[in-house]
Amino acid sequence: MEAASIPARAVNTRSAGQLRDAFSKYGLIALLIAFPLHYAIVDLVERGTLAPIANNLVAGLSNGAIWALVALGYTLVYGIIELINFAHGEVFMIGSFVSFGLWGTFGLTLVTGPLGLVAGLLVTLVVAMIISGTLNVMIERVAYRPLRGAPKLAPLITAVGVSFILQNVGVLWLGGSQRGVPDLIRTQDTLIEIAGVTISRGDVLALGVTVPLVFLLTAFITRSRLGKAMRATAQDPEAARLMGISVDTTISLTFLLGGLLAGAAGLIYALYQTSIWYFQGFTAGLIAFTAAVMGGIGNLKGAVLGGFIIGIIQQISDARGEQQGILPPLGNQWTPAVVFAFLVIVMVFRPQGLIGEETREAG
Amino acid sequence: MSALRELGRRRYANLAIAALVLGIAAVFPLLFDPISGTVGDAIKALAFVVMALGLNVVVGFAGLLDLGYVAFYAFGALTVGWFASDHFSSVNAEAGIHLGVSEFISSLPGIHLNWLLIVVAAVIVTGIAGMLIGLPTLRLRGDYIAIVTLAFGEIIGRFAANGDQVKIGEYAFSNGRQAISPTDPIKLPFFQEFDQAFNIRPYYYVALALCAITLFVNFRLRDSRLGRAWVAIREDEVAAASMGVPLVKTKLLAYGIGAALGGIAGAFLGAYLNSVNGGQFQFGFSIFILAMVILGGLGSIWGVVIGAVVVSVINYYVIPDLLDRVATDLDLGFTVSQISFGVFGFLLVVMMVLRPEGILPERRRKLELSGEAGSADDALVEVRA
Amino acid sequence: MRLRGSSAPEPAGADPAHPIEAREGHTAGQPANGSGPILAAEGVTKAFGGLLAVNDINFAVPPRSIVSLIGPNGAGKTTFFNMLTGLYKPTLGRITLLGRDVTGQRPDRITCMGVARTFQNIRLFPTMTAVENVMVGQHSRTKAGLAGAIVRPPRVRREERAAREKARELLAFVGLQERVFDEVSINMSYGDQRRLEIARALASDPKVLLLDEPTAGMNPNESARLTDFMRRLRDERGLAILLIEHDMKVVMEVSENITVLDHGEKIAEGLPHEVRSDERVIEAYLGKRG
Repeated sequence: MEAASIPARAVNTRSAGQLRDAFSKYGLIALLIAFPLHYAIVDLVERGTLAPIANNLVAGLSNGAIWALVALGYTLVYGIIELINFAHGEVFMIGSFVSFGLWGTFGLTLVTGPLGLVAGLLVTLVVAMIISGTLNVMIERVAYRPLRGAPKLAPLITAVGVSFILQNVGVLWLGGSQRGVPDLIRTQDTLIEIAGVTISRGDVLALGVTVPLVFLLTAFITRSRLGKAMRATAQDPEAARLMGISVDTTISLTFLLGGLLAGAAGLIYALYQTSIWYFQGFTAGLIAFTAAVMGGIGNLKGAVLGGFIIGIIQQISDARGEQQGILPPLGNQWTPAVVFAFLVIVMVFRPQGLIGEETREAG
Repeated sequence: MSALRELGRRRYANLAIAALVLGIAAVFPLLFDPISGTVGDAIKALAFVVMALGLNVVVGFAGLLDLGYVAFYAFGALTVGWFASDHFSSVNAEAGIHLGVSEFISSLPGIHLNWLLIVVAAVIVTGIAGMLIGLPTLRLRGDYIAIVTLAFGEIIGRFAANGDQVKIGEYAFSNGRQAISPTDPIKLPFFQEFDQAFNIRPYYYVALALCAITLFVNFRLRDSRLGRAWVAIREDEVAAASMGVPLVKTKLLAYGIGAALGGIAGAFLGAYLNSVNGGQFQFGFSIFILAMVILGGLGSIWGVVIGAVVVSVINYYVIPDLLDRVATDLDLGFTVSQISFGVFGFLLVVMMVLRPEGILPERRRKLELSGEAGSADDALVEVRA
Repeated sequence: MRLRGSSAPEPAGADPAHPIEAREGHTAGQPANGSGPILAAEGVTKAFGGLLAVNDINFAVPPRSIVSLIGPNGAGKTTFFNMLTGLYKPTLGRITLLGRDVTGQRPDRITCMGVARTFQNIRLFPTMTAVENVMVGQHSRTKAGLAGAIVRPPRVRREERAAREKARELLAFVGLQERVFDEVSINMSYGDQRRLEIARALASDPKVLLLDEPTAGMNPNESARLTDFMRRLRDERGLAILLIEHDMKVVMEVSENITVLDHGEKIAEGLPHEVRSDERVIEAYLGKRG
């Protein structure tokens, strides 16, 4: 969805402005390339192989698939009502929890046969998606809709509140610490190995669920009547209303779609990480939001691209716990800081994102 | 001229309220044991009042939603950890550096400064940190500002929590989750060093004095040229800039003052709690303070004080004593303390939906939220200032 | 007679009931005292993406004069205003204030140097009283900083009192009743809000005042009063006024010089009667005939 304004590529007369523009355009891209490139060089020099960084990239893409699904939810909602749905990460978390609960109910375990497993997982996927989607619609109804006319920061504050409520629902549900999930699909098992680069079952699952869902979503938004209504509302809610589009329904639909995707992401996450907890949504939410902003918020392709980029950054940071090259040791306790640093850089130097256009209402 | 008289009456009303409130607050600890837990909670609550009033300058006055306020608590507390403990144990050939501390403390290694000096240091450190964090947000719109400040708060929280891995020379940024402990007790000129083992009332009165000063600063700022400039920016950035208000400077001042007040409260808590644990500076704390501001009424000084007291009472009394007992009686299988942040989240939602102007609304917010005066959020991107 | 875009039924100046007052001595573009212009734009251009909102405009405001900028809706008048006041940075070109280059300066700096403005859709600070609004207008002329605000020494008290007094004087000067001085601005009547915006602009002691459609929504009576008021500002306070206006009666009556924009370009410039009879201007307002 394009934002409803005239794109403006301001040509500045001053060199300082030009420098800034150039940095905003290419600096971020350069930074994004430099990060993996640095470790690629380190791997090559220190170990004589590119396999470690290649494995980071593969795992990063799988992580990224999850973040892409969550990021789409942010971007869809922001595209329509310009609200950062802060509780979206928690909707994703609930997706994981529901999946975990259903496996217990269905009695899916490590010894379940392949047919039962596939059937069980498909049903779980559908149910997790529907529950997350419905939850997201309810959140909008209760916490955001009453504030539609209020100053913009009001719904953001309620969004934070809802996020905390859902986190604590998670605490009551599965306790305050990490909870192991049965490794139903033996996620780490290698399917393919080429030159030391392994592609595991988990990687195939993550991409195998994400890619079709993204295509379905794109098709829905570009082809269907409701999807067109969504785009119209995103561009100009007032005009859409005059054209007979029900804005309320369209907004609900947007939250439903975002929630459906978050539910799917929740299931993949549980299978892939084999461990879930109430706080996963907070971190995932911010990571996915970073992805959405990096791609250009409101832009579907951008959210997917951003998701994959952030997934790779996160994976590299997680995996590099030792001092390598010129960068300090990272490791997963620093990953949030790394991701947030990228968030700040994107927001400050390129708030319109990688593929977003600079927008502004014309004077 | 009636307006002037009205103004005068309001000023005296404020003074009278302030005297009454501070008077009652001054008597309060005398009703309890000198080391009573209730007074201990009240001390923390008073520190939260200072923080909430600081956040109110940023969010309430200038309209910049800051979701990373915990960063300034962290910096304030860490200032104590650095300059009032044996953290820098080998400075001055392990003899330490001492300035205005008691005889016993003077014999310890590390840097030990008098608490008042630490407050000054905390104000400087957090004031600068506040402006540095604010700087990149200046060109952004309201919701993006919230996220960037949140990100900074999380980054600083991460540094504090994993600070044992961040070495500058031989010294760590913090002790991570091990906490820097013990930190020196507060020592004021003309007074004995405070001793928590026998009497925590002196801490209470220091905290109350900090509250009084913060209140004074808040009122003075609100009714000043600077305060008007903040309201102007909050309500219409473009118009404010066109009327000669420098946006960058004015916004940074708000960030700086809010941060400095958070830092003062942090320096107080660091000394009172006797230790600085790097793991305690989490996002939830920012929301805890924000809930006080929202609940009391954005921009309303007395409202924020009430909000801070109410949220503290909920946190230290209603949840652990009342609700937990109810939960146990009903055999719910969990305690409400486990989900206290859920309770605050619920409060935020309920307040925003049902009474967004807060318990004691500020006159302007009431108008803004009633929808008559929609604040202009559509700031032109190019308004640089 | 009012002209609003191409919907207007007849060309400007076809109304014989309102002859233009001849203003000898204040001829177009030539300041009476012979000094250079107060505010000048040279080759100013603004592009939004591929769209040229303002294209290569040369323009000058002589001291102690009233000049107008007219043109159909979307002609780029407000964009041009926004560049003069620093809200937009020109893509190309130069803007000078009293001979100093101020191109791309921050809006608050430009205000401080003597340019004040009002907005097409009134942009007051809604929850502030009239007096407070005008006091914000004095921001660049007052000094109290952070320490001053907290300590409030006698100097700051004096400044605050003086600012309050000046605000009340300005409110009276623009013709507001004393009973609305402490009224919150959104509760004021439309006409009062317009006046208040002018008072707020005057509070920064400008040398040039930019008025963006000040008579919008006013009845002919009020418009006439505003016209007189503008003349007073020029004659009594020595201000130069740059006016964007759709009300042709006001424009023709008050302007010493008129510049016409269409699609971002200057299509005519001159004395009111010259502009009024200019073929291109008539065409711009009414569309090509035949």
